[in-house]
Amino acid sequence: MQFEVLATCHTTKARVARMILPHGATMLPTFMPVATQAAIKGLTSQQMESLGISLILNNTYHLNLRPGIQVLKEAGGAHKFQGWDHNLLTDSGGFQLVSLSKFTKITEEGALFASPFTGEPTMLTPEESISIQHAIGADIIMQLDDVVSSLTTGPRVEEAMERSVRWLDRCIAYHVREGRQHTQNLFAIVQGGLDARLRGACLEEMIKRKDQVAGYAIGGLSGGEEKDVFWRVIKQCTEKLPEDRPRYSMGVGFAEDLLVCVALGVDMADCVFPTRTARFGVALTRKGALNLRLHKHAKDLNPIDHECPCPTCSDGVSRAILHHQTTRETAAAHAVTLHNLTFQAQVMGGARDAIINGTFPLYLKSFFADYFGDKGYPAWCVNALRSVGVDLLEDNPNAKVVTGRGVWWEYASAS
Amino acid sequence: MSHTKHTSSLRFRLHDRASETTKIFSPRLGAASLHRPGSADIEVQTPGILTSTVRGLVPHLARDTMRATQAIRWVNVPFESFLEHTPPILTLQNGPHPLHRILGFLPERHIVSMVLRDPSDDREMPPNGKDFVSANCIRGMTVSDWRNHAITCEPDVILALSDIPFTAGGLSQKRLTKSIERSAAWLADILKPVDMDDISATRPRLNVLVHMAGGSVLAARKEFAYSLLETPLDGEEASAIRPYKILDDGVSGYAFDLVPLHKAFSDPPSLDSVPLSKVSVRRTAMELSPAFNIPTPEATAKLVPLLRASLEILPPTKLRIAHSAGSPHEMLYLVRDVGIDIFDAHWAQRAADIGIALDFTFPAPITVDKNGRDIGHNMYDARYAHDFSQFADSFAEQTSEDSLAPSSRCSCLACSPMPPPSALRHSTIDEPVPTRQMKPNTRAYLHHLLHTHEMGANVLLAAHNLSVLDAFFAGIRSVLSSRPDDFAREVERFAHVYDGELKIFMLARKAWADVELARGKGRLAREKEKQAQGTLGTAVELD
Ligand SMILES: [Zn+2]
Ligand SMILES: [Zn+2]
Repeated sequence: MQFEVLATCHTTKARVARMILPHGATMLPTFMPVATQAAIKGLTSQQMESLGISLILNNTYHLNLRPGIQVLKEAGGAHKFQGWDHNLLTDSGGFQLVSLSKFTKITEEGALFASPFTGEPTMLTPEESISIQHAIGADIIMQLDDVVSSLTTGPRVEEAMERSVRWLDRCIAYHVREGRQHTQNLFAIVQGGLDARLRGACLEEMIKRKDQVAGYAIGGLSGGEEKDVFWRVIKQCTEKLPEDRPRYSMGVGFAEDLLVCVALGVDMADCVFPTRTARFGVALTRKGALNLRLHKHAKDLNPIDHECPCPTCSDGVSRAILHHQTTRETAAAHAVTLHNLTFQAQVMGGARDAIINGTFPLYLKSFFADYFGDKGYPAWCVNALRSVGVDLLEDNPNAKVVTGRGVWWEYASAS
Repeated sequence: MSHTKHTSSLRFRLHDRASETTKIFSPRLGAASLHRPGSADIEVQTPGILTSTVRGLVPHLARDTMRATQAIRWVNVPFESFLEHTPPILTLQNGPHPLHRILGFLPERHIVSMVLRDPSDDREMPPNGKDFVSANCIRGMTVSDWRNHAITCEPDVILALSDIPFTAGGLSQKRLTKSIERSAAWLADILKPVDMDDISATRPRLNVLVHMAGGSVLAARKEFAYSLLETPLDGEEASAIRPYKILDDGVSGYAFDLVPLHKAFSDPPSLDSVPLSKVSVRRTAMELSPAFNIPTPEATAKLVPLLRASLEILPPTKLRIAHSAGSPHEMLYLVRDVGIDIFDAHWAQRAADIGIALDFTFPAPITVDKNGRDIGHNMYDARYAHDFSQFADSFAEQTSEDSLAPSSRCSCLACSPMPPPSALRHSTIDEPVPTRQMKPNTRAYLHHLLHTHEMGANVLLAAHNLSVLDAFFAGIRSVLSSRPDDFAREVERFAHVYDGELKIFMLARKAWADVELARGKGRLAREKEKQAQGTLGTAVELD
């Protein structure tokens, strides 16, 4: 991997970087759409390319079940299997093991789980995870970590953090032994729950291994923790992580979360949210989310967003016709998915330009003003951005500030 | 830019003038073309296809993938789902070509026809009234509203309302007579010239197709055809259609709805028709796809005299369209024995819903190891898990003694992917890198997408199946043009080489039901609801 920081924000910790991987360059910060099963829901690889997206994520756990490693090997890897000639990242499979299987038991050796096919006890070791990811052949691969929910407390968190460090060593050793360190880029995953001391210890150990680690992910978040805790953990990590390695915040996809993370120095993030919500007829815009199922859109001949360059909006697909088709026809889901992925890419592309132009603080202010407007800024965003020198309320001292997640626009109020 | 409404005209010409006189039921070559003042004509070579839509779109294809599918030239839009809102949203669009515009079809590339009911929907409807037709929605459609909607939406082609009862079993003589009278009166209504805002302007006409009424009774079908040629006795009706003297003068073509005829001639499918499997799977398969419109050769043979009875006294120069043919075999028989010009692609599109990749050609390949081969692949089948070949073999097979197949690859977006014409850039430093080499999608990938319930499977299949069917018709035209005397023989050979019962549909539907069942009750409920909404497409994953 070639990783080069091209610009940094004069105020926040945000930065723009070029990351060159075996399948081309990806400009950071970026959002990575999730193709769990080797497909972005309903879109072809050519459609993804037309959206200007150059890095997507596949899930190792799912691909290992279907189509299975043998098929991927025969295909010549997951890129060829899904016809995707751009960059690809795989997770380790550990997170899904824990979240999708009740019977998973973590031992020092690895994660012991019941095979979904045979029910047989099966072990996913760090070596096995890397071996599977070698067969998949992604440009970026993840270490197997010992995942605990971000709501877990007590000694289990410390144990998981320490084990994740030991498993990182095993992943590195296997990766090097297989001679893959020049074709696939192994990322470490910083654990330690919500405890600053444990995060600090994990950071220290993992940074020691920097020479054998291409990048760092921040794991163990986005599991329902308080947002005010979330951003503090992110900030603690980005402040410590080396400048010359990309930083990846796992499971982050709401626009406000993305921009706060970018301001704190994060380079990459992924989430199923924009593609999943599209299937429910929810379109993301700079003015908030629109639920196209709501009756108020039934006669609205405007596109989702006049200024959006996506294939759906630029072709003038009206809210009315989407209302008529959404959640009923798969092609309507595709139309909104094209839009939502473009929205995510535009938010991040806009951030890149603003950072280069030295206008990122302004970009944040105008984005948040548009996005939350009179509905109220989430207090955690205000706090997080103040911590890096941007005061969202500076020009607008009487703006409403709300606690918690903030407004959900039209997400929940489907007819 | 000024745009004059209702100035497009649908024309049809036969290449061989002999079929205009002596051979009125022979297979024929021709072209349907839509002429719009100021732009190049859109041509559909015949015999050829049109594409079915649901809720205003080609199932599974967003606008970009729809436009990347060259086989889509003529789309037929059932109006009934739009009756959910008053006024129907299709009538709200302003500007030129409002129907094209709101649905994303291109005026320079797509002919859009509008019909009230989905012609493949065989569910029983409440009886029609004197001046309204029941549809799959709360309210039906009055004759005058239909005309107004046609004038507002500006489809290129409108199907006149007709009173074709969708009830099983025989109809009484009285009911048949009423059906014919109503259909003729409703046709007369839509043939009336359109009043323009500018009263000095000429009053244009709509391009109207008429459903050939009369059910499965020969005499009734003849009577309806005759009513198109009669000078109206009713003075009001006569003056309404002036300067036409008879209804047929204003008709651009004849449409046949095959579903009610198939229904009249075949036994309803039973649970036993689904291959041996758990009862729950069989029941699910039946429930998920109640309409099973695959006629036997005998059933198709029974259609021939009925269709001929409708056509025999009418001018042979007009376009003949058949809706919901059930198989390529039936399409061939109806080309050969009736001279049908255009078929909708419904069965091939349905195949895409249930995981079938079509793989057949006309003429059939000459080197055939075994007759009765399937017209496609049930891509759920485990045999495809490790198969990295492209969806269809038959494009590379030799189809006649003296020529090799012109193309070794299907031209669809799945088999011949093309780089996107452009890629978005989201910041000034973005460096889009095009794909280095475009490779066909493989069976193994499609198999994987089906088993993981990825909607992308249906996208690839919808584009592929339309392209295979379009190439099949190109093959028909090629034989008709280069060696017409061989056509009947080639049809027979095709019927031997390819299984006409479409057993592959049964297998795929069962495999589909298996995957649906495995995904649980909520999923099944949504799939059933989807089936109640239209005859094509699959439910959207909402888990
Ligand atoms: Zn858009
Ligand atoms: Zn194809």
